[in-house]
Amino acid sequence: MTAVLVQLAQLALALTLAPGLVGTLRWLKARLQNRRGAPAWQPYFELRKLFGKEVVVSENASWIFRAAPFVVFAAAVAVAALLPWLAVPTPLDAVGDLLVVVYLLLLGTFFLALAGLDPGSAFGGMGSSREMTISALAEPTVALAIFALALGAGSTNLGQIVARTMTNPGAALSPGHLLAFAALFVVMLAETGRLPIDNPATHLELTMIHEAMVLEYSGRYLALIEWASALKLLVFFALLGNLFVPWGVAVALTPGALALAVASLLVKLAVLAVAVAVLETRVAKLRLFRVPELLSASFVLALLAVTSSFLAR
Amino acid sequence: MSFLLLLLPPLASALLAAIVRPYRAAVGWANAGLSLVSLAGAVALWVAVLGGEVPVAGPDDLLRADALSTLLALCVSGVATLAAWLGPGLADDGWDARQARRFRVFANLFAFTMLFAVTTDNVGFMWVAIEATTITSALLIPLHRSRASVEASWKYVLIGSVGIALAFAGTVLAYFDFVTLVGRETVALNWTVLRDAAPALNPRVIQLAFVFILIGYGTKAGLAPMHTWLPDAHSEAPAALSAMMSGVLLAVALYAVVRWQAVVRAAVGTGFAENMIVLLGVLSLAIGSLSLVAQRNYKRLLAYSSIEHTGLVCVGLALGPLGIFAAMLHLLNHSVAKSMMFLLAGRVLHRYRTAEIHGVSGLLRVMPWTGGLFAAGMLAVVGLPPFGLFVSEFALVRAGFVAGRPALIALVLALLAIGFVGVISHLNRMLYGAPPEDVATGEPSRWALIPLGGCLAALFVLGVTVPAAVSGLLTRIATIVAP
Amino acid sequence: MQSLFAQLVVLQSSLVLIFGLVLLWRRRVPAYVNAFTWQSIVLAGVAATVGWFGGERELYLIACLLFVVKGMAIPRLLGRMERRFTSESELAPYVNTATSLLIAGVLVLFGYAVMRPVVAASELPTRAGMPLAMGLVLVSLFVVVSRKKALTQVVGFLMLENGIALLAILGTYGIPLIVELGVFLDALMGFLVMQIFVYRIHETFDTMDVDQLDRLRH
Repeated sequence: MTAVLVQLAQLALALTLAPGLVGTLRWLKARLQNRRGAPAWQPYFELRKLFGKEVVVSENASWIFRAAPFVVFAAAVAVAALLPWLAVPTPLDAVGDLLVVVYLLLLGTFFLALAGLDPGSAFGGMGSSREMTISALAEPTVALAIFALALGAGSTNLGQIVARTMTNPGAALSPGHLLAFAALFVVMLAETGRLPIDNPATHLELTMIHEAMVLEYSGRYLALIEWASALKLLVFFALLGNLFVPWGVAVALTPGALALAVASLLVKLAVLAVAVAVLETRVAKLRLFRVPELLSASFVLALLAVTSSFLAR
Repeated sequence: MSFLLLLLPPLASALLAAIVRPYRAAVGWANAGLSLVSLAGAVALWVAVLGGEVPVAGPDDLLRADALSTLLALCVSGVATLAAWLGPGLADDGWDARQARRFRVFANLFAFTMLFAVTTDNVGFMWVAIEATTITSALLIPLHRSRASVEASWKYVLIGSVGIALAFAGTVLAYFDFVTLVGRETVALNWTVLRDAAPALNPRVIQLAFVFILIGYGTKAGLAPMHTWLPDAHSEAPAALSAMMSGVLLAVALYAVVRWQAVVRAAVGTGFAENMIVLLGVLSLAIGSLSLVAQRNYKRLLAYSSIEHTGLVCVGLALGPLGIFAAMLHLLNHSVAKSMMFLLAGRVLHRYRTAEIHGVSGLLRVMPWTGGLFAAGMLAVVGLPPFGLFVSEFALVRAGFVAGRPALIALVLALLAIGFVGVISHLNRMLYGAPPEDVATGEPSRWALIPLGGCLAALFVLGVTVPAAVSGLLTRIATIVAP
Repeated sequence: MQSLFAQLVVLQSSLVLIFGLVLLWRRRVPAYVNAFTWQSIVLAGVAATVGWFGGERELYLIACLLFVVKGMAIPRLLGRMERRFTSESELAPYVNTATSLLIAGVLVLFGYAVMRPVVAASELPTRAGMPLAMGLVLVSLFVVVSRKKALTQVVGFLMLENGIALLAILGTYGIPLIVELGVFLDALMGFLVMQIFVYRIHETFDTMDVDQLDRLRH
């Protein structure tokens, strides 16, 4: 019973934290660029405003366009439900598999791309095609990086990976682990549309990807999509944080352990947010045709990760 | 003592050329004299080896001259002597003092590195010395600075260095194999120690090591498909350097391969090393012969012929003791013949000012002696009797039949025939016909013909009989490599 | 202690290899020089680590030499060349970047495959890093054959040497010191000669693009 409550609490925490993370990231970037920036809770206001607005849908759009936001949001929520945010094992441990997580996220991406194509606008199609190109290139990297982690832990189960790394701290420093982390970090940048692959701060560029796909959305649909993509960012951060540096995750459901788990999760998110903010301030956006090169570099990293974990066994 | 006699003169000559400023012709003469001393050192080793001893010197047996080392030392010091007498500044006078000094400094260092490579027992130092041959010779290729020579030397330096680095990786792997089994010892890189320990080594590791070593030293020996630098470098270098590179540098690189072949043979038995060597050998032979037909440049013609002959030596190395005997005899013959040919080609180039075959005609009328030697040398190079290369090729064919590889021999003979036709047709065009109008008649520096004639005489002697002193050396080599 | 040693060595070896991969991903020569510098410094670190845990004093000397020669002297000379030829960058290699990276991945796997008997033969705690060294050797070889600029090829060659040095340090705790010194001397002289030729190529051809070196054919 407690476990179910904790699980619900985790999900609620994730849902509430997600817009805040995006806001924090924007605020951090602004500070790094010597701007004052909007407060970190600005995204909450935006979401509330969007939920209150009227929806305008192109007359060429089919049912896919209306269904997509819900699918995208549902996929993100489902992923959030599977993740060991605070405690392992989760009640949904039986299906809490890394492969499930990745392919649920991909399902969201797929529907978003469909929705971009659906109204037949030029920008939407362009964004969708780019998004799918990047997804397709990032896919093998993700699979390999997961494989590297799974080889280390002997399982693709999220709870298992976390538990295994906690019992064997040396493994966190092993090259396989670090290389997989690096590879997944690059993929995270690509999948969540961060610099240097996509610029999240603007929808005025010809080279935009994510923003081009959602250009046709408005009102509560847009709110759902924005919320889902914030959740996706949070999920990736939590994956990177909890899978590679699992310390702090509660193994027993005591209040003390849970409090520690919340604190450590916040610290990990903050560290990653700072890292991404610094990175985004320092690097310029890559020209689109160099993106495949970056992704193949991350693929090589993942490949190295697999080979060295395979040898370390 | 013989080692000092062999190794110090080139160093002394290089030093002399470096410090005497301004450069004088006397430096060249001193170099020529000292080169004879070095040759005498090699002969002393020869006498000692024929007497049944194996001269050893230096800490941890740094220097050691068995029959194989002695043969190579003789070839290297002999060709270095030729180059010293006939090089820039003495017989070859188209160079200013600066170029002559540069030649004297680096050619002698080049000779020293080659001599050290073949007389050291330590395979680590052998590698260091062979790598150093690239460095010392590369700076001499663009003695005349032209686009072509800069290009040739870049290819040479890069491909040579990268190749030789792979040979070092192989050496490290072999050392790893030894250390894993026996433990860390300073003498572990000594060839004698390695060979004696070989039966206990891990065969998989030593095989992997040999792959790297063969590719590495094979690059330096101009084996196909790593040969691409060779025609460029050999054709663009000044004649005396071409003579050294083609005559002995290839042989020195092959020497390294043979040393390792002996170790691998002791470790995993016959077959593995031999098959790989023969594969590269046949490939080189094929590429060399076929390229001979299409050549338009006589220095490149000679260079491709070197690839062909290196391939032939490799084929011999795989055919058992008889084959090794034939291969080593061929190595010796090729050293003499090819250094002579490149020096003669230098004289032709000097007179006609072109390396294109169609630019040369009436050679026999313009320079009767040079032309005559050139023609005889070409016939020797393609393996016609009564010259040494015929005998060694014949011995090789016989070894092939004894070893039971008639198909291989048939292939080799077919390729040699193609090369033969290619060379002879080119030779005719150069020798006869009317000379171009602006080319003067008469021999420059006539005395230079004496040593070149001496080379032809040596080839003739080797073609009539293999003297006991030579065959004694070669038999001992066969027992070293294939006991 | 031993497992820490093994972990540390493999970690450093992976870094050495990854700096080698930078050559395939970046296009500007300064990035290559930086990658080479860091690679050499990490390599010196490997030598020092193996010297410390393996109890080999000679390796400290090797580490110092690596640091001074390859971590400082050669990068400085490379930097000088690079400033001289600022306009030269690797814009169109023979094999494009994405394919190059994939080929590099395959080469590393191939390195693992060929080194299996070697790793199996060894008992040393450092053995797990040896395939990475072989991977670097193969990747550097690929850089030399697939890039057009003379300077890139030189850096590729230097990295090849680093790979072999790493192999020697990991496999045998370093080859005998006296031979090692000879190898160092050769490496340095070889680099200097290459440097002379890079300048000459630039003087005579007005470019470092070895694609332009096509006077000698067949």
